[in-house]
Amino acid sequence: MRIVIAEDSAVVRAGLAEILADSGHEVLAAVGNAAGLLAAVNEHHPDAAVVDVRMPPGYTDEGLRAAISIRRDHPETGVLMFSQYIETRYTADLLGAASGGGAAGVGYLLKDRVADVEEFVEALSRVAAGGTALDPEVVTQLLAASRHTDGLGTLTAREREVLALMAEGRSNGAIAGTLFVSERAVEKHVANIFSKLGLAPSDADHRRVLAVLRYLGS
Amino acid sequence: MPMTEQPSAPQLTGGISHSASSESVARAQPLAMRILVRPSVYRHPRAWGSVCSVAGLWVFVLGIILCSNRFWWGAALIAVGALELWIAYRLLVAPLPERVRELERSRAHVVDDSAARLRRIERDLHDGAQAQMVAVAMKLGLATKKLSAMAGRTGQTDLDRVLELVVAAHRGAKEAIAELRDLARGIHPPVLDQGLSTALTSLAASSEVPVELMVDMPDRPSAAIETIAYFCAAELLANVAKHSGAQHARLEAVHVPGLLRVRVSDDGTGGARVEARGGLAGLAERVKTVDGRLQVSSPPGGPTVIVAELPSHA
Repeated sequence: MRIVIAEDSAVVRAGLAEILADSGHEVLAAVGNAAGLLAAVNEHHPDAAVVDVRMPPGYTDEGLRAAISIRRDHPETGVLMFSQYIETRYTADLLGAASGGGAAGVGYLLKDRVADVEEFVEALSRVAAGGTALDPEVVTQLLAASRHTDGLGTLTAREREVLALMAEGRSNGAIAGTLFVSERAVEKHVANIFSKLGLAPSDADHRRVLAVLRYLGS
Repeated sequence: MPMTEQPSAPQLTGGISHSASSESVARAQPLAMRILVRPSVYRHPRAWGSVCSVAGLWVFVLGIILCSNRFWWGAALIAVGALELWIAYRLLVAPLPERVRELERSRAHVVDDSAARLRRIERDLHDGAQAQMVAVAMKLGLATKKLSAMAGRTGQTDLDRVLELVVAAHRGAKEAIAELRDLARGIHPPVLDQGLSTALTSLAASSEVPVELMVDMPDRPSAAIETIAYFCAAELLANVAKHSGAQHARLEAVHVPGLLRVRVSDDGTGGARVEARGGLAGLAERVKTVDGRLQVSSPPGGPTVIVAELPSHA
């Protein structure tokens, strides 16, 4: 993967570059602010950008706004946002931008997850390939805030677990690995979830995720 | 032998015990003597006022006693006492409204200042300790990955032990990141920098009980007030989730010129009370620091309505 990093803390930036380079990916640019990020994306057209939400000059949501404009102007570039805090408001904005652009290719993770190298690189690959990678905490908040409590209430505990992992953007294989069940069993759960929630079944992973997210968010 | 030396020990301590005893001598002196000894202190109007009120009262009472015993020259003492009491009034009571205004100004300054300081601490944590911990955890994550690959290849027990240690350190680093995050968020939630309405939107969305949100804030109150309002709303919504058994809650924030009103209501079982050292009492205290007030209505069986009213500026 060809990657651009935007993170204002020099130590974290260096750490990210090291992890990605070590995993065999090419870091095209590592910048410290949103303007630098947009310039680097314009110049390199990377597969994915890793973006800190809070960057200078205002230290609020500069990264988010840059991420949204990258999704709009460069649909081929996936954007993985990460921050110290999960703010539901940011999730809504980012997912709104993602579905408005007609594709996924977004992710939102807590900074802690970056420390789990393999999971982080896997999430970034998913985003670069047009998939979705949401932090479990984002999904918990989405589930809690969803108005479709009746629909969600009909799911079994196992189905809710599968739904949460699906909303994080994981494939059947990854879900099976996490829950220590067979992929066949996961497929069966997914089919049940889609029929219980009244969603049209879909085989492509990322379209399936979008359907679930739209359901939770609407 | 040591026993006989003991009585002389206090004398050896010199300066300290000497100044302490002169302190107690001064306290025992009559007021008049103290004024003579420390005239500069008593030049302050408040000290003069106190002296005049005490002396005036005594002279006044003495004058009345004399007059009632037909020593008519006591009337002069009554007049002097009354004059002293009047001076005391001018020095102590008359300046109070001005002092109240001064106190309000300095309190607003202190409240704003502490809000700004908390914001700075959160920013420092974010840029400093939190970033460092993330970098450390990332390095440990990378080390874990490399070591497990090596351990798989060579199968040395020493390497397994090192891997165990690194994995434990990695886990510890991640726990530290989570703890730091909670700490920083408790000090100053960064989302507040984008305004109270954005912060409340995020808060309502992350509540365990579904929250209907109504925000009407044409302009922003001061940062310190926003912080207090945010923590009120957060605590009240947390209470709804923890204690009320409610199915729905409603959060309203309305800002009119001069007043910010935050109202949290739910359809739960009610019975919320302001108890000493309880969460609501803490909130009430916090609201009071800026002259706000907290109204609680929570009859048994519900519904619970809690309103915090805050001035726009501290």
